[in-house]
Amino acid sequence: MKMIHTEVPEQLYKKAIALVEEGWYRDEKEVFSEAIRRFLEAHQPELMERFLREDVEWGLHGNE
Amino acid sequence: MSETISSVVCDAGPVIHLDELECLFLLHDFKDVLLPEAVFDEVSHYRPSALKKLQYNMVRARKGMAGEKVLSTMCKLFALDAGETEALSIMEENPWAIFLTDDASARLVAEQIHYKVYGTVGILVRGIRCGHFAPGELLNILLSIPSRSTLHIKPSLLEEIIIKIKEAYRVS
Repeated sequence: MKMIHTEVPEQLYKKAIALVEEGWYRDEKEVFSEAIRRFLEAHQPELMERFLREDVEWGLHGNE
Repeated sequence: MSETISSVVCDAGPVIHLDELECLFLLHDFKDVLLPEAVFDEVSHYRPSALKKLQYNMVRARKGMAGEKVLSTMCKLFALDAGETEALSIMEENPWAIFLTDDASARLVAEQIHYKVYGTVGILVRGIRCGHFAPGELLNILLSIPSRSTLHIKPSLLEEIIIKIKEAYRVS
């Protein structure tokens, strides 16, 4: 495991803590790990590249 | 066919990014800019100035009551936020509209439902085709994305996009 030190918006932190307090997660570390894992799964580089290339094609040649 | 381009349904990302780049006027091309309530709240919070510039054709839209089950399940599976989920719900009622988002997950879901979906870069590049920019102006805007906006694009891909536009418009 890697240790990271970062800042998060207050509201985001409060929501993470609420999940822990309600018993959904053991601690906030688990919440943030899960959040990052989901983000990384959804933001695969090849997907984002394809979307941007489609944007350019539409921008240049699209007829709506 | 004109019906298909009359409206756009916006996620917060493109509104914020276009405003950061001072290009929000590009959305005036569309008859309506449908802004879900959750997106309106998000933009109000992070970029209130954008809302004033959108007044021309902005419509605050409430999410549909029908809320198709498949869509709502997909939104949960892909962990879409409230704005993205509401936007997709509004797309259900306006399937000929264009959905604007810079979020990869939301775009993936929209694509699965066969909606037309593009992002900030698409709207910017379209600006040349629609006569809002000379190619050089657009290139300057694209080059300024990393310093002026919160839109994340890999530098090598941005360079590739710039080359493609230079080739298309024969700009050296």
